[in-house]
Amino acid sequence: MFYSIRAKLIASFIGVSFVVGAFSLFVGTRLLDRAVRSEALMRVSLDLNSAHELYRARTKTIEVSLNITTLGYGFLVALKDRDISDLIFRLGRMANYASLDFAGIVDGKGEPMCRSGPNAIPSRRNPSVNPITTFALEKQSCASGTFLLSHEFLFEENPQLAERARIDIIPTPGSQPGTKRAETAGLSLGAAVPVVHEGELLGVLYGGVLLNRDTKIVDTVKDTVFRNEEYKGRSVGRASIFINDVRISTNVPAQDGGRAIGTRVAAEVREHVLERKERWTRRAPVISDWYITAYEPIEDIRGRTVGILGVGVLDEKYEDMRWNDLSFFIFITVLGMLAAAALGCFVAGRLIDPIRQLIRASHQVTEGSLTPEIGPILKGEIGILQKAFREMVSAVGRRRMESQNRLIMSEKQASVGRLAAGVAHEINNPLTGVLTYTHMLLRRKELSEEVRADLQTIAEATERVRKIVKGLLDFSRQTTPDREKVDVNELVGSTIALMENQALVKGVDLKFNPAENLLPVNMDRNQFQSVLLNILINGLDATKSGDSITIATKNSEMVNEAGQEGVEISITDTGCGIPPEHINELFDPFFTTKEVGHGTGLGLAVSLGIVQRHGGSIRVQSEVGKGSTFTIRVPLEGRVV
Amino acid sequence: MRILVVDDERIVLESCRRVLGDRFDVSLAKSAEEALEAMNHEVFTLILLDIKMPGKDGMAVLRQVKARWPDIPVIIMSGYVTSETLEEVAKTDAATFLAKPFTPDELVQAVDQVLMKEEDHGKKEGARH
Repeated sequence: MFYSIRAKLIASFIGVSFVVGAFSLFVGTRLLDRAVRSEALMRVSLDLNSAHELYRARTKTIEVSLNITTLGYGFLVALKDRDISDLIFRLGRMANYASLDFAGIVDGKGEPMCRSGPNAIPSRRNPSVNPITTFALEKQSCASGTFLLSHEFLFEENPQLAERARIDIIPTPGSQPGTKRAETAGLSLGAAVPVVHEGELLGVLYGGVLLNRDTKIVDTVKDTVFRNEEYKGRSVGRASIFINDVRISTNVPAQDGGRAIGTRVAAEVREHVLERKERWTRRAPVISDWYITAYEPIEDIRGRTVGILGVGVLDEKYEDMRWNDLSFFIFITVLGMLAAAALGCFVAGRLIDPIRQLIRASHQVTEGSLTPEIGPILKGEIGILQKAFREMVSAVGRRRMESQNRLIMSEKQASVGRLAAGVAHEINNPLTGVLTYTHMLLRRKELSEEVRADLQTIAEATERVRKIVKGLLDFSRQTTPDREKVDVNELVGSTIALMENQALVKGVDLKFNPAENLLPVNMDRNQFQSVLLNILINGLDATKSGDSITIATKNSEMVNEAGQEGVEISITDTGCGIPPEHINELFDPFFTTKEVGHGTGLGLAVSLGIVQRHGGSIRVQSEVGKGSTFTIRVPLEGRVV
Repeated sequence: MRILVVDDERIVLESCRRVLGDRFDVSLAKSAEEALEAMNHEVFTLILLDIKMPGKDGMAVLRQVKARWPDIPVIIMSGYVTSETLEEVAKTDAATFLAKPFTPDELVQAVDQVLMKEEDHGKKEGARH
């Protein structure tokens, strides 16, 4: 079964569809994967841009608030008059409106004058460096941006701020190993605006927000950029702000459910963003989940990298999306493969069924049937095969019929031959006596005319008997042909010459169309001439005045079933024709349609015997009233039969 | 001149005697044995021999005749001749062949021809001697 064409066809169909399917799966999944990932990376990269803008906008807001404050006339007067209590009031109001964590004023030398919050009047001893006012004083202009605040500065500004800024570092897997236990510095967004009146620097107003443990920026990013999107109960978008690699403001959840403040960024991110100062976009683990993340360095007002701004999109969403797409794609591909296999089975069936039918048919032929069931004839090659098979079977049938006929014929001839030989032998002796005594009597002179006439009749009748017996003997004599190379055209020509007078007398036109380059045939010239004569005499007998007999010769590629090359001689008359019921008896010994005394009925039987002994055949086609054609076909090298 | 006719059929023997009896002294033999017996006692000018006979057939007689009396011409008669027997006869250089049935004229003609040939032959032989 496995070796059947059907199985092979199906296997090849499945094989091809499997290969194509596997290939398209491989390519498809890779393309899909890449598309989903690059889309996610693109999105997170854009999200980081948005977060960056939000971050800058916050700085801008502070700067604008400070600027507006310095433009107020009351503030200017209070500053000019150094009315500290009024200034403290105004600072408190501004900090409140602008949601500032700290705000204050320093004089032209950078010494703190006053500030909002609990330590409104600074103590004069060793104040710590205020990075933003220092920078503004250096620049002699307005300054804004990110800057780091030392623990001391924070403590002076507001001990609560210092407390808020202090972050215990939580050891995080995958981060750069470090010995630092806590982050005490504060990352701040703020601005400082020098207040100049009539060419005199009255002081510098500063203010800012502390990002440590701040939730505003990161949650605004979550709410606005990620639109608070949730996936399976978790927020899709996350944002974090780092001092160096320590998370100080984030909405990434920690193991305990709170915010993962104090955790550290992965070593790889740290290397790229902090050390190489690059943007970094990649799928990366963040605390407990995988995220598609984007990080960029945060630079302070002096251009130093002090931290990282990072956003991340929950990878699970994209992973699931990818898996959904992938599984759908795999489903479609597998479905396609199955469909191809099913189609293969169907096509194989369509292809194989007629061939199986042909195999069954050939078994039927083997078992003797000549009308096997071939099934409907199809178009294309299989149809050609079916037709060829059908024609082959009918040819076999025809051949079998022919050879059966031939067998019957030769059996008939053999038995008639034996009979004829016996009869001839027995008859000839008494016939000698009859002939002798009749002729002896006829020699007598005293016979009356009456007796003489009677004796004459006996003599003639006996003569006829003699001829019949001679014909019988000719027929039964299985003489092997005495072969020589014969030019058939010449033989036909000389035979026609023998008959020309008779034809002329009868008024029948004898025509000869010899073929050019006719091949010589190895045959018994005399025997073959008698065959031609016999058929010509029959033709003359069948025709009347005005009819014609045409003899034609030609080379033939195949004259018998052995496929031998040979020569074809056709003798066509326009005579009375042979009724169909006589055609089959034509070659039987003693069959004759001629009047009694005009033929022995052995001529055609003898002729056929001669042609068959040359390995040839005689075929007769005839139509009553139109004439007959005798076709003699004989191989060049007649075989000995 | 004596002529021996050998045939198993009486009618053939009688026919030959009837036709040739006027001119020749005709002896008849009904079998091969009879023929050889006759030849042992008499000298014949010509032998007419049927080739198909029951018992010892014509071919055997022909061979013996040709072996012992090579000068006596033999006319072979047969009602049924195949090419094989004709070839065999040709080998034994019988004078001629006569197919049965024959008319008296045909028989006389065959006999005359053979005798004339023999006569010529004899003359030549004689001349040579």
